[in-house]
Amino acid sequence: MFKLDRKLAILAASATLLMATANAGSATVTSKYDFNGKAIVDGGVYYPEVNGKTGPYYLNTEVDKLSFKIGRPATKNEIAAWDKDVTPTQHPPKGSGTVEEGEELYEAQCVMCHGDFGSGGGGYPALSKGNAYDIQKSLTNQRYPDPEADGPQRVFGSYWPDASTMWWYIQSGMPHPNTKSLNDDETYALTAYMLYINELRVDGEVVEDEFTLDQDNFLKIEMPNKHGFEPVIDGPQGQENARKYFNNWKNFGTPKVKPSERCMKNCQKKSAKVVRIAEGGGITDFLPPISVVRDLPKKEGAFDPKASYGDNCAACHSGFLSPGSADWAGYTGKGMDKVLANAIKGTAGGMPAKGGNPDLTDKEIKMIIDFMVSGK
Amino acid sequence: MSNKPNENSEVPSRRDFFKKAAVSVTALAGTSLFASGKDDHAIMHHPKWGQKLGDPVTKNRYGIPSAYEHNNIRRNTKLLASGNFQASIAVAPIHESEGIITPNGLFFSRSHGGTAHVDPNEYRLMINGLVDKEIVMTLDELKRYPSVTRTHFIECPANGGQEWRGPQFNSLQFAKGFMSSAEWTGVYIKTILEDLGVKKEALWMLAEGSDNSEMGRTVPMDKVWDDAMLVWGQNGEALRPEQGYPVRLLLPGWEGNLCVKWVKRLEFAAEPFYAKEETSKYTDLKPTGKAIQHFYANEVNSTVTHPSPEKPWAGQNLKKGDLVEIQGLAWSGMGTITGVDFSLDGGRTYKKASLKGLVLPKSWTRWSYMHKYDGKPLLLTTRAMDDAGYIQPTIDEETSIMGVEAVYHRNAVETWEVTKEGKVNHVQIRS
Repeated sequence: MFKLDRKLAILAASATLLMATANAGSATVTSKYDFNGKAIVDGGVYYPEVNGKTGPYYLNTEVDKLSFKIGRPATKNEIAAWDKDVTPTQHPPKGSGTVEEGEELYEAQCVMCHGDFGSGGGGYPALSKGNAYDIQKSLTNQRYPDPEADGPQRVFGSYWPDASTMWWYIQSGMPHPNTKSLNDDETYALTAYMLYINELRVDGEVVEDEFTLDQDNFLKIEMPNKHGFEPVIDGPQGQENARKYFNNWKNFGTPKVKPSERCMKNCQKKSAKVVRIAEGGGITDFLPPISVVRDLPKKEGAFDPKASYGDNCAACHSGFLSPGSADWAGYTGKGMDKVLANAIKGTAGGMPAKGGNPDLTDKEIKMIIDFMVSGK
Repeated sequence: MSNKPNENSEVPSRRDFFKKAAVSVTALAGTSLFASGKDDHAIMHHPKWGQKLGDPVTKNRYGIPSAYEHNNIRRNTKLLASGNFQASIAVAPIHESEGIITPNGLFFSRSHGGTAHVDPNEYRLMINGLVDKEIVMTLDELKRYPSVTRTHFIECPANGGQEWRGPQFNSLQFAKGFMSSAEWTGVYIKTILEDLGVKKEALWMLAEGSDNSEMGRTVPMDKVWDDAMLVWGQNGEALRPEQGYPVRLLLPGWEGNLCVKWVKRLEFAAEPFYAKEETSKYTDLKPTGKAIQHFYANEVNSTVTHPSPEKPWAGQNLKKGDLVEIQGLAWSGMGTITGVDFSLDGGRTYKKASLKGLVLPKSWTRWSYMHKYDGKPLLLTTRAMDDAGYIQPTIDEETSIMGVEAVYHRNAVETWEVTKEGKVNHVQIRS
């Protein structure tokens, strides 16, 4: 059915062909799709199949007429195992979890990266900046022309349109070093804790510490920035709204100008001036430092436990059990051999074997452990 | 017969010259060899590589660059890391790039949970949701579909995103290197869907990765029926792990983040998915407080690559009247580059530059401008146009609509300041 539509549409669309100017040569482009006659969804152009080519590329046009029937039907269990997305219209599975349970999980598996009460730290995203409804008002903040002004706070509570994303994110992508390890109830509990630290309301009530989140009240979470996004992509008109939005350049700031009418003289405002990187400012901590010298590389040095810690361990150990941290006292008491064994084999608490890098030798792990415990 | 080189084959003056050269390497680099009237040591002696046997063909079964090219590498910075170097980016050395293809080992690398190492024998692709037939296939089965090969750039929409409020990086690699380009081989998704049958209500496709972060993004169906591909080939070989081995989604011209790597599942649905990277990240906050939620194409853009802050004119022995080729890249995710204008005064006055080489849709395009060096300070600015009719805005034009907090999709014209010493600095021209 689709193929027939497509052929008819190609004929219909050929009436609206444009010839690309300048250097695109003989390529044919259109401002409408041949398969539905509509404007291009991203505001750009389309290269229809014309004379066996799309743009500059030849095609095997036989392909359009053939059916390949490759693959096999997916089983119900296979689909259930992989189709786990949770969206505003595809709700989370049955289950429940309390704020208290969530806090316990958070303290055990999340706080080392996301900080106390989701305050962030070490470069990891903050999960809350306080009362979501107040913080949402920061979204109109602009750090210009005053660079010291408060910027907008884009955290879960203040910015995300839907809590479904948080549930799905936690279950599919957290905790960071050991994802897909939380069950449904644990995911509810952690989501409940996220609502709590953002002071969000569910069905008109602010989430308190004895709150239980479940499949029913999940749908009554009141996200303050639900309508903070454009275009509106929900519903049967969603894609049409996107199409309309991106076909008006004033929505995104890249002008459409006829080539013959583009500015060639006096194209900057009179007030425009040269802005330089501030003396001693800018971002310069490039790894490795920039060099364009053509010489022979220095001989590989000995194993560097500090660098290897950065590559393999800092993901989780930049806060908790960081190099030289006092936390180590609670672990070294059972002997360094035990610490080393845990590092090599991994632990039930989420530490992956060898920090997730099986290429490290036991000797190298020992050097890293010595560095992390001593800080030197 | 010995294969030892003849010790007497050197020209007699070699040793004396070598002594002098060894202590004055920097001096040599700073003055013209031809002006000195002296014989060039590089010519007047037999170098070792010209006398000794080279490597056997059995060495480096997979070839590697010359050891002298060891500085042509991806780089990263802690400021572009979400806490660690797994949820991070390493940017491409585009100041060293040639043509419109990035070598696979230099292609920029961005992931949200580290580079996954997928066993191709256990690779499965699932297609489910609003299709008539929900299927799974192996990698070999996927590759049985007729393939297409296309050259496209992939650009992280945060390319240049640290510089909305002013220049930050005195480096081309960091200012514009969140992108790379390759010749990709794979199958159009529409070819697969014509087999499976898609239900009329389907408006969106979820593409989901199999990596630690299970990166997923929502794609409108029109892109799927246009040029969306599942690709397994990159510049004539398998995808690199950093680019999603064995299979990634390629949406020509669209945000790199949408081109989901290590892709394991495509699901078709009537409603968008609101995936994890469609929230605080990959949305463009405007001064109105509203944010663009789905932002697809990387808009028309360009940069000067020669010279660059990394490889300035200083130290190149340029004399007044010498001709220098200023060149760069232009690209658009919405179509084909139709022209590039070039300015020596920071974008007040423009002249047409020449395009050169292949000019392909949604692809890097090289441009060139011949300049007679006169030692005066310059402000090099470029501005590209595409066949969809778009032209790059000035910084003032772009910020008047997008403000300075959008993070993504910054494509206003960029400027290199060339000092009279020939140093190159990244600057901005703005009110």
